[in-house]
This record gives sequence, C-alpha cells and structure tokens, in this order.
Amino acid sequence: MENILEVKNLHVSFDTHAGEVQAVRGVNFELKKGETLAIVGESGSGKSVTTKAIMRLIPSSSGSIKEGEILFAGKDLTKLSDSEMDQIRGKEISMIFQDPMTSLNPTMTIGKQIMEPLRKHRKLSKVEAKKKAIDLLHLVGLPQPEARFKQYPHQFSGGQRQRIVIAIALACNPKILIADEPTTALDVTIQAQILELMKDLQQKMETSIIFITHDLGVVANVADRVAVMYGGQIVEIGTVDEIFYDPRHPYTWGLLASMPSMEIDQNEELKAIPGTPPDLLRPPKGDAFALRSEYALKIDFKYEPPVYKVSDTHLVKSWLLHPEAPEVEPPEIVKQRIRLMPGNYKEPLLVKGV
Amino acid sequence: MLRYIIRRIVYMLVTMFVIATVTFFLMKLLPGSPLHNQEKLSPDQQKIILEKYGLNDPLPVQYVRYMGNLVKGDLGVSFQYNNRPVSTMIAERIGPSAVLGFQAVVFGTIVGILLGIIAALKYNTIVDYGATTIAVLGISIPSFVFAGFLQYFLAVKFPIFPVADWGGFKYTVLPSLALSVPVIATVARFMRTELLEILSSDYIMLARAKGVGKRDIILKHALRNALIPIITLLGPMIVNIITGSLVIENIFGIPGLGDQFVRSIMTNDFGMIMGTTLFYSALFIFMVFVVDILYGVIDPRIRLTGGKKS
Amino acid sequence: MNADRLPDLNHLSDELFVPVERKEEQLETIERPSLNNWQDAWIRLKGNKGAVVGLILIILISLMAIIGPSLSGHTYKEQNVAHAKLPPKIPVLEKISWLPFNGKDQDGFDMYKAKNVKEYYWFGTDELGRDLWTRTWYGTRISIYIGILAAAIDLLIGVLYGGISGFYGGKVDDIMQRISEVLMGIPQLIIVILFILVIQPGIMSITLAMVITGWVNMARIVRGQILKLKNQEFVLASRTLGASNARLIVKHLIPNIVGQIVITTMFTVPNAIFTEAFLSFIGLGIRPPEASLGSLVNDGFKSLQTNPYMLIIPSVIISLLILSFNLLADGLRDALDPKMRK
Repeated sequence: MENILEVKNLHVSFDTHAGEVQAVRGVNFELKKGETLAIVGESGSGKSVTTKAIMRLIPSSSGSIKEGEILFAGKDLTKLSDSEMDQIRGKEISMIFQDPMTSLNPTMTIGKQIMEPLRKHRKLSKVEAKKKAIDLLHLVGLPQPEARFKQYPHQFSGGQRQRIVIAIALACNPKILIADEPTTALDVTIQAQILELMKDLQQKMETSIIFITHDLGVVANVADRVAVMYGGQIVEIGTVDEIFYDPRHPYTWGLLASMPSMEIDQNEELKAIPGTPPDLLRPPKGDAFALRSEYALKIDFKYEPPVYKVSDTHLVKSWLLHPEAPEVEPPEIVKQRIRLMPGNYKEPLLVKGV
Repeated sequence: MLRYIIRRIVYMLVTMFVIATVTFFLMKLLPGSPLHNQEKLSPDQQKIILEKYGLNDPLPVQYVRYMGNLVKGDLGVSFQYNNRPVSTMIAERIGPSAVLGFQAVVFGTIVGILLGIIAALKYNTIVDYGATTIAVLGISIPSFVFAGFLQYFLAVKFPIFPVADWGGFKYTVLPSLALSVPVIATVARFMRTELLEILSSDYIMLARAKGVGKRDIILKHALRNALIPIITLLGPMIVNIITGSLVIENIFGIPGLGDQFVRSIMTNDFGMIMGTTLFYSALFIFMVFVVDILYGVIDPRIRLTGGKKS
Repeated sequence: MNADRLPDLNHLSDELFVPVERKEEQLETIERPSLNNWQDAWIRLKGNKGAVVGLILIILISLMAIIGPSLSGHTYKEQNVAHAKLPPKIPVLEKISWLPFNGKDQDGFDMYKAKNVKEYYWFGTDELGRDLWTRTWYGTRISIYIGILAAAIDLLIGVLYGGISGFYGGKVDDIMQRISEVLMGIPQLIIVILFILVIQPGIMSITLAMVITGWVNMARIVRGQILKLKNQEFVLASRTLGASNARLIVKHLIPNIVGQIVITTMFTVPNAIFTEAFLSFIGLGIRPPEASLGSLVNDGFKSLQTNPYMLIIPSVIISLLILSFNLLADGLRDALDPKMRK
C-alpha cells in the first residue's frame, strides 16, 4: 500500500520570551492510504504541534518549521506558500479539534459553515452546496438537518457540534483527516458514538486518519498503527497489536502499565510514571525519557538513542535494543499481555541515517 | 428575547426614577428659585409666584407634582431667563450639539475601527505600536487641550478653519474633530483587543483548516464577531460626547446645549442646571437601553435563547 | 538539538550500558526555576517601552511637583502686576532662538526689556504677575493629590463592597449587584456636577463628588476576581489535593486580585485628574488663588491668541501626566494578563 503522507525529520520550534522551545525534535513517520494512525503521548509531547505543522497552521509569529520535509501528493508541504496551502486545507487534508464548544463560529449558521469549503473548493453554487451540506449532515447522523440548517452552534449539544465539525471536515472528501483529540471533551457514551461514526465514514470514503489521543482505550478501538511520542520525538511506532502486545520502549510500558483494565490481577498496582515532562527549552542530553525511566542506562544521559527495527512495521528509539544493553523485563502488567509477534526479526536491526 | 427586553426596560425606568429623585432633593438643597431676578417684587407678588410654582406646598406634594411633571416632559423653568421652560430652551439649542455629536461619533467610529484593524493585523510591529500610541494619546490628552491645540494651529496660526462660531459645514470641522478624538481612541483600542482575541480563537483556526483564505477569514469571520461588541461602547461614548460638548462648544463658540449648560452653571441658574442634567441623564440611560436591545438583536446567542450567553 | 550525535555504535564502552540509580527526589526537581507571578510580570513590564516611559515620566513630574515651587523663590499666589504677562524666559535656553524660552512674545517683542524686568520667570507670568513656574508645579501637586486621593477612596469602598458582595454571594450579592447596576447607569459626571453645585468647590468636595459613583468599577472587578477564586476552590476540593496545594493556590490567586486592583487604580488616577481639570474648565473646579493644572489651562484659554504659553505649558504637563499613568496602567495590565504568559 502506498504512502499518502511522509513526514521526514521534522523539527518545529517556538519563539518565547525565555528562548526557543523545541516542540518537535526530529519526527519521522508515514501514513498509508485508508489506515488510521494514532499518535499517543502526554501533554507537551509534541503530538498537536506535529499535526498543526502538517497543516501549516502554526502562526509565523509564534513558531516555525526549522527543518524537515512533509511529502504529500508529490509536493513538500513545508515549501508551499500560504495560498497554495489554502488549496490543500479542507480539500485534501482536513482537521478537527478537541473542543466542539469553541470550534464553530458562534455568529454564523451551521449551514453556512458547512457550505463554506464546498463553495470554495468544489466551486458549487449556493443551491448545490446546500443540498450537499444537508446530505453530509444526514451522513454524520444529525437529526432533521433541513430544519436545523439555519441554526447557530449554541443551539446544539457538544456531541452534535462535533458531528457538524466532522461533516465540515469531510465535505470535500479529503485524503487525510487529522483528528486532534476529538472525543476528549465529550461524555463517554457520546465518545463511543463519535468513534463509530468516524470509523464508518472512513470505510465509506477511504480516508486516512491521523488520530491524536492520550487515551489508550480509544487507540485500541480505532487504530491500525500507533506512534508513541515523548519529548518531541517518536519513541516507538508499530501496528496496534505490536504496541499493545510487544512494546519495547520503557515509556510505552509506562503508558500501558498505568492503564486500568479488566484483565489484570486485582492485586497488581497501577504504575504511574513519576516525574514531569521534560523542559523543551533546554532539551535534555541523550534520551529525553531517561530521567523518569527505571531502566535508564548511563549512555541514555550522554547520547540520543538510535532507532531499531523490531519488525517491518515496528520501530523503537531506545538504547535498550543495542546488543550490549542488559536484558530487561517490562513491568508485570505489561508482561502478562505479551504475545509473540510473527513479523519480528530474530534480532533488532539498526536503522541507519538517523 | 422578550424577557430580555422587559428586563432592560425595567432597569431603564428604575434608573431614571432614581436620578430624578436625587435631582429633586438636591434641587431643594440649592439656593435659588424662580424669584431669582425678581427682588424688585413686593412680598405679595413674590407669594403669588411661589404659589404658582407650588413652592409653598409640603415636600411630598411637591415631589409627586415634580414626578408628574417629568412624565409629561416638563423639566421646570429657568431662573435666569424669566422663567422660560427648560424644555423649550433645550429644544432650541439641541440642534448644533446633535450635529457635532453625530459627526464625531460616525467619523470617530469609522476611523477607530480602521485603526484597530490595522493595529491587530500588524500585531507587534511598528505599525501596531504607532497605532496604539496614537490611541493612548487620544484618551490621555484632555479634549479641551486638544481643542485648544486645534484652534491654535489650524485657526489662529494657520487660518484654515474659522476660529469659532456657527454657520456652515466648515464651522463644524474643528469641533467635531476635537470631539471625535476620544471616540477614535476608545474604539481603536477595543477593536484591536477584540480582533486579536478572535484571531487566536479555535473557530478561526478551524476556518483556516477548512482552507479559508486570510482575506476571507478577516472579512467573513473575524470582523463580524469583532464588530458586534463595539455596539456596547456606544453608551459610554455618549457620555464622552456630552461631557466633551460642554467644553468644545465653549471653546468654539457653538450655540449648543453644552454651551448653554456651562453658562447656566456660571450664572447659578439652578432651574436650568437641573432640567438639563435630567435631560442628559435620560438621554444616556435611554441610549444604554437602545444599545442593550440592539446587541440582543444582533448577537444570535442572545436573540435565540432569551438573554443567557452560553 | 543534541550536539553530540551518535557515536560509532560498534565501539561503545561497556560501562555505558550500566543501569543508573534513579533517585526519586531528582524526578520532582523542576528543570527551570519557575518564575513566580510577580517576577514574570516585572520582566514583561520592563520590556514594555511604553510602561517604562510612563513610569519615568510620573517620577519626574512628581519630583518637580514636590520641589518645583521652592526653586523659583516666588510663592504661587504673590502678585506683581508690574510683571504681568511676561513670556517664559530661561537662562542658557534663551540663547536658542527657536525654543520659546527667550522672553520674547509672539511678535518677537522683548517684554522684559520693555518693562525693565531683571528677573527670569522660567514659565513666564500670568495676568496678575504671578510666577507661572511656581503656580504650574503647585497646580501639578494639587492635581496629583486629588487624583491619588480619589483613587484611594474608590479603592477602599470598591474593595469592601465588591468583597462583601462576592464573598457572601446569594441574596446579599443579588441586592448589592442591583444597586450598583443602577448606579452604573447614571453618568458619573452628572452626579459630580450636581454635587459640587450643592457643596461649594474645594479640594475635598471635588474628591468626594468623584468618589460617590467612582467606586462602582472597582467593586465590579473585585467581585469578579473573588467569584473566580471561589470557583477554583471548588475544583480544588473536588480534586482533593490537600492543604499544601491550597496554600499554593492562595499564593497565586491573592496576587491576581491585588494585580487587578492595582491596574484599576492606575486607571482611576488619570480619570480623576481629568475630571478635576474638566470641572475647573466649566467653572466648578479649584478657585483662584489656588491652582490646579485644570484651572491653569482654563485661565490659559483666555489668553490663547496673545500669550499662548499660558495655555500650552499646563496643557502639556497635564497631558503628559495623564498619558504616563495610562501608559503605565496599560503596561501593568498586559504584564499581569495570564494569557500573555508565553
């Protein structure tokens, strides 16, 4: 399956009073057609910034892409002008945000807001656009769209607003949909509905989805592949099975170990990851997670870890996979879930050129 | 929506009531009466006049009559000008003040909005600093100072405009300009803050994610939302114009209400003073009321849910 | 970015792969010393050029207001009709012809020579021969005094009213809010004028008149802050973080209230100065021989065409005074705004 998006060595920094904050420090990943890639990580890990960089939505007064390429449809998105990007946003790549209460313009009818991308990108007439908009609202499961077309956002509930936002995002059949924590602000039951909706629409429209979340439960539900981010870097990436059943990075272990589930032994303690996220104003030398990891090696404080391939689809950025590294055991909870992955190599392979 | 309107009306009436009462009691504390210039009258004649104005009646009776008069639009009489009714005198003089006020508001608001937009779009650049400095100067330099400078430089030193008096459009230029300065400043500052906040909001980011171009973002999304709250400035603006007019009309010799008011203060014509202050207050309170209603109509969040912003 | 990139992976010393003892305390050390609220605000304030200019101007003008009158050797009210209407004349500066300090009036006529006056009047004299340098700085004193006094009383009443209203909430808050809403609906200047008419003008009466409705704004702000604080306390309780964090919150929120109070006060002062000047202009202000910047401007207007300096000098000073307070207040507001913290 071909890659629809390739991000290579992306570096994004912000200018602040205190200095340059390196929010994204060398991120690499691909997105295949029709798949859902989940990006997980805690606040400040750089997941939102990465996707905003893809959309080129970072105001130049706050920050910029310092290095790297974003390849889409034969073009490098980092090199496009703003008006060229305007042709891509909403049409080829769409984005939806976390808070449905603030995502919509409060003084514009929802009908108009859905018609906007249709009229701009598809050059539809007002009548055609209205019809298509109503179809979209049906599609996302909004009841009585004809009647509610002229209503304002505040007249809808949070879940309904998020459906409208999804309708707007999918209006022009984009190749990629970026969803930045779209269900975090919603009730759990509504959350499930929205996730089902998104999966359903993805099947119908063959859209690739980048799904940002900090909730591993959601990941298990929607993702084909998962990228784990920490301190502005991807520390582990693989299929959803590989990540859940054969994780290799201590941070991933930490995430999985702190997730309550029905399967674990009642007597096992949930492990919280101690400490706080790193200061990206002065990024730590070596492995960013070392300070909080109980598996840290001396070398983790000196040099940044290289990337190893555990299978065709599973990459890990850690010194623990170096041949000379000691054998370590993941926490009990994680160990209990481990399964043998058929695609694994005999030995982890060093990825060159990192 | 209806509930909202009714609440606003009640507030308006209560406030007017309070100020009318306060004015009444202050009036009683002040020396001066319709007898002001009529010392030559005999005591009997004086008594007749006092009777005519009910000034010999007990206080509560006077109060009720006073309120009743107000409702009918009777604002009392001037003590200086042979007991001419205040309302008549106001009607005579309100023309020029209204013209100047209107010009100042229209001109000031338009310039202020433009200045605010420019400052917000060029945030943190020289243009922004320049615009904000102009705005701060505008609210800092007292209107009479500014009027003085205008008069000196554009009328005395370089006689481009007439120094004073009233007679045609060119007589309105300098005074309207002077009156509009605080308007420009307030509107510009407000517009800039509003626009900056809107431009960093989620829905603007979503609009950009839809591919809406920079120009459309500003014209179709940001501006509409920024302009709505500007209406709320109209209330304080009226106060500004009223207080400004007292000074500006004096300096430029405009035969308006403000000038008359100042004169009545200088001559201790308390009848006139009270009547005019009542008029001004009523004007202001009514203006606030109109603004509130307008705002409710224009902002769909209030229009469609009856007054509670979500 | 890491300066030392990957070394040759096949030749790494064995001892680099030794696990590191992890100490719990290390984990909780915060990487960068977190600036407390005030320090961060101070840094931002210093960076705001307008605010710095404003502060310097305030200090300068206040200094002059304090020592100015004593520098000239005249009092603010002594009259010397023989020396009336002299233009400003400053030694040394008089040599620079394009500066207006050479003792010559509009037509280049040397008034000092004509009237045979040996003394230098730095700001000139008024129509009664009073030294304008002394009067101007004396007037500045009065204006600043009124401004600060009005702001102080506003603060007192406002904090009390807003504090009680916000703290007790419920019915008390409701009633108090209705009252202040009505008060806000009455234009302040009207009340001030009415008041002064009843009580003859003087420093105290003017200040009092301004305070009658002036406090309403401060009360509104204080109440708003208290309500915010109350909300955060509930969140705190529901998170059951424990007492030590409560102290932290208090340490952060109280400064916030103080911050808003300071900002509001900073805006009240120039407003009061302006109001007083305005009152003087319409004849309800400080009466001669006393002086305030407003009354001096008023006097100056009468001589606009003949002796403009009588108008220009106090106008410039009062404008600078109001401007500098506004700049400082603007800067403070930007500095203490949490949204602007980067």
